[in-house]
Amino acid sequence: MRYPVLACLCLAMSACGGDFSNDDLEFLNALPQREDLAVKLPGGRQKGAGQRLSPDKGALAVRLGEASQLVGDTDETGQEFNEGVDGLLSFLEAIRQLPPTRREPDRRIWGPYRDNNHPGFDTRFVMTRAGERFDYQLEYRRTNQGEDAWWAFLVGAFQADAGIRKGTGDISLETGRARGKAFTTGMEALDRLEIHYQTQALPTRVELVFDYALPALLPAKYVFREGAGSVVEMTFEIGGTDLVPGGQPEDVALTTRWAPDGRGLGSLEVLRGDITGAKYTECWDRLGRVTFIARSWDFFTPTEGDRTTCPDVSALDP
Amino acid sequence: MMRAALQRWLALVLVLVAPVSHAEGLRRFALVVGNDEGGEETRPLRFARGDARKMHALLSRLGGVAPGDGRLLLDESSKGFLAALTELEARSREAQARGERTALLVYYSGHAKDGALRLGNSRLGFEDLKRRLAGAPADIRIAILDSCRSGALTRTKGARRAPAFELDSGASHDARGLVILTSSAADEDSQESDALGGSYFSHHLASGLLGDADRSGDGRVTLFEAYSHAYARTVADTAASSAGAQHPTFSYDLAGNGDVVLTDLRASSEGLVVPGLAPAGMYYFVDPAGLVVAELDKTPDVERRVALAPGTYRVKRRMSDRLRIGEVEVSRGRQAVLEESRLRDAPFSDDPVKGVAPDGGSWWTVGLSGSMQSFFDAPTRESLFLSVGMVGAEAQLHDYFRRDWVWGVDVAVGGKQALLALPTLSGPAYRYSVTSLGTTLFSEWPHGRVAPFVGARMAYLVMRRDFEDASLPDQKYAMFSPGLVAGLRWQPLRHLHLTGRARLHYLLYTVDEQRSLGFWELGALVTYQP
Repeated sequence: MRYPVLACLCLAMSACGGDFSNDDLEFLNALPQREDLAVKLPGGRQKGAGQRLSPDKGALAVRLGEASQLVGDTDETGQEFNEGVDGLLSFLEAIRQLPPTRREPDRRIWGPYRDNNHPGFDTRFVMTRAGERFDYQLEYRRTNQGEDAWWAFLVGAFQADAGIRKGTGDISLETGRARGKAFTTGMEALDRLEIHYQTQALPTRVELVFDYALPALLPAKYVFREGAGSVVEMTFEIGGTDLVPGGQPEDVALTTRWAPDGRGLGSLEVLRGDITGAKYTECWDRLGRVTFIARSWDFFTPTEGDRTTCPDVSALDP
Repeated sequence: MMRAALQRWLALVLVLVAPVSHAEGLRRFALVVGNDEGGEETRPLRFARGDARKMHALLSRLGGVAPGDGRLLLDESSKGFLAALTELEARSREAQARGERTALLVYYSGHAKDGALRLGNSRLGFEDLKRRLAGAPADIRIAILDSCRSGALTRTKGARRAPAFELDSGASHDARGLVILTSSAADEDSQESDALGGSYFSHHLASGLLGDADRSGDGRVTLFEAYSHAYARTVADTAASSAGAQHPTFSYDLAGNGDVVLTDLRASSEGLVVPGLAPAGMYYFVDPAGLVVAELDKTPDVERRVALAPGTYRVKRRMSDRLRIGEVEVSRGRQAVLEESRLRDAPFSDDPVKGVAPDGGSWWTVGLSGSMQSFFDAPTRESLFLSVGMVGAEAQLHDYFRRDWVWGVDVAVGGKQALLALPTLSGPAYRYSVTSLGTTLFSEWPHGRVAPFVGARMAYLVMRRDFEDASLPDQKYAMFSPGLVAGLRWQPLRHLHLTGRARLHYLLYTVDEQRSLGFWELGALVTYQP
């Protein structure tokens, strides 16, 4: 008789508890999701839908009615941007699927777990809160090492602003430090990958910074902004482009803005090269075909096409 | 000399036969009334209706009441009582007009208080009833009242609080007038017995009418035999009770004289004969439900007859150190004979008498409930466990563990749409829901149709919130929650109960931190009693 009663008591107690927690929700809300940080270009273009501005292109020789090179460049860059974001957020996705292992006032800990993708390493995720600021770290250590051996691979912070993942945040992926710990990441070309974002007010802003271990031709900094009316902007730099005939390649800063219907306006500024300081402006229609061109260095035909075909993207003006 | 002896013998025969001849020449009408309810300030009786049923059956089977001349009223008001009485009076008057002698017997089992019978929420004053019976168009009017303080009805001429009365057996003409028997004195309660499944008085009256009261052994039980028997046994059985001894009373206002035969044991062709050679002692006849339906105080060398209805009975004879028990079958149309050889010794633990408690008197209800649940702590009810309305179903078992104890099981669900509002996170829409499984044990204090109650409850609560935003996880919390319950049950109809109640509960919250929370529930319950 005693054992069935004990069994019933154990069964009853095991049916108690749960994860009904306001604090858990606030901690999870401090972690960004892909939709918060990813580039969202209108039109759902396929890769390679436009031409690409590349070092071997020789010149910016687009004509009215042709597919915009800037559109193609921005599409490609947007995909690279999103791949970078995905790579970083993939470390956080697993945390969302699990309840915290330990709950403390203003602190949550997931793990430690054995990292099956990195044999010999334990991992844990630690979040702390101070007021409306949340700090978090994805930490690793060699299996069987002590508490002091934890080192941070991913470091993030979020200043909340009440809404659903509304606020400002920073995340950095310390790939250089991982390399020093013999922790393979598949991102050996990078010393650090950083994301800085602001989602609390329009226009929202996401900045992706690659800190390369070696000199690279790829852009090191991407900025994506979204303003009222779903107007978006992508800003990045391209180095070594032979934009105009001459002896030097050009480093250019490219800013493209998009209306929700797919029309857009691109602005390219030469930072270094044969025509340093020159500006090139281009507008395109919903199909990505050029409708207007303006070249600051061309005295004979400074503009082509109809400027009124350019969309109103002033929502992103300072 | 011879002639004088013959005259004395004839006179004796006439005296002995007189009751018989009276009985045979008497048209009997019977109004049998039972009502468990007594309205305000009374608690429902358990066996009043059952006693009435038994008495009606007994009078019909053995009391010479023709099927059309007896009325059984259960849970009727005083208006129904008087209407039935009027009808029987009319029939008696018609019979008298045809030259028949008539008797009108009124049996009432139920509440009485403050000088009146209490039939549910209606009343019938003792004096009004007495006046009505005194003027009733019947040669003999007999009132048997089994109710508290019914002795107030006999505190007038002819009242007796003892069985030691005698009627002049040298009656020269038929008795006419009013006889009143009451189950208790004017200042006494009439007591019920779970073991007997009825009131002490009605049980012993019925047992006497079945034969135990037939001291003369003539196969007939007269009114006075029955009363004497019921008096002695009721006083004896209740002497040691917490309420104290209960003393039936007797009042008569008879013109003329002569006894009245209430039951004729020979009127029924079936029954049980206890032979004269059977050992003396107390015999108990127990029905299949474990209730004593008749008793017999057997004296040596005297054959006794018990007019049991057809059926199977267990017979118990109590001895100083053991029981003698056996079984006897009374077949329709046959007189069974109790054979001592068919009884066997048994320890007291094998007593076949069970009584009605606990299972006989229990009853159950099913119902639907509506309630409001809310936590005392404001931040909790605003952002964690919200205040919600709930609907549910409930089943209750009454009087099973103990008189006026109620055990219930319930299930309820509730929920609402809400928006999350936390310091760093506001806006997500979600559905909050609560499921409650509970069991309650409480005690009632019935006062008529109203019964306040207080008790304890244990609930198993499951709270959920399901977010529309897929990025936020759905959450659940489950915990046992002890609590208290209090309320009021009202029975407006026989099968319908309405209950208003409040619950106070404790809930231990253990997720973010260990917190002791409290919540209340206010609810209403509509139950059906089959």
